[in-house]
Amino acid sequence: MTDLVDPEDPAAGLAAVVALRRLADRLEDSQVERAMRAGWSWSEVAEVLGVTRQAVHKKHARRLVAAGVALRRR
Amino acid sequence: MPDHKDVRAILVRAARAEARRDGSRTIEAEHVLLAVAALEDSAAARLLADAGLTEDAIRAALDREWEQSLAVAGIAVRMGLLPEATPDGDRDPQIGESTKLLLRRGMDASPKGARFGSMRILFGLLDSERGRVARALQTAGVDRIALRAKAAEALAAGTR
Repeated sequence: MTDLVDPEDPAAGLAAVVALRRLADRLEDSQVERAMRAGWSWSEVAEVLGVTRQAVHKKHARRLVAAGVALRRR
Repeated sequence: MPDHKDVRAILVRAARAEARRDGSRTIEAEHVLLAVAALEDSAAARLLADAGLTEDAIRAALDREWEQSLAVAGIAVRMGLLPEATPDGDRDPQIGESTKLLLRRGMDASPKGARFGSMRILFGLLDSERGRVARALQTAGVDRIALRAKAAEALAAGTR
């Protein structure tokens, strides 16, 4: 096993950017799912994420319907 | 042993499934690597396994790469503790940039003009010192250069 963590190394710094994007994507998927399971509306989720209702709906609706989440209309 | 067209179709399907499972909108090199490792009856998969790179080992190495890269940004996360998201089974991930690069590198490997099989794809995967695949192999303590030399040898000997 080798340690990749060297804050002076641009390769490590750039890899951190990729890793953060992956983390943000994973968190968004899981937390939107959690909120909708808890009965939040698309508008409420959108407001917290700072995006439009349409954007969050387009990105997540199909996945959550397939996952069996009961979605509110608004 | 399936012929090269079957192998390509199997690889594309498996890599796409890996991308979906990963919640990714694109098929990246790491998804292709997992697909190669999962190939049955394949010299490329055997080469990986001989280096200790089974599917499970690759997944573990990718998680470790993720954790270590996040640590550079001061974030301590244990992948096993991250909340799961239900994957989008209908999503159709498109070919990502890292996959385009590995295909080009595989294409450039000698002997040129030979058919494209899993060994050529593996060579393309191993032929970069950057990106998640190279970093994951490094965390796993795998000698990427030596492995690439073995893939090149196999290609030269006629393996596709």
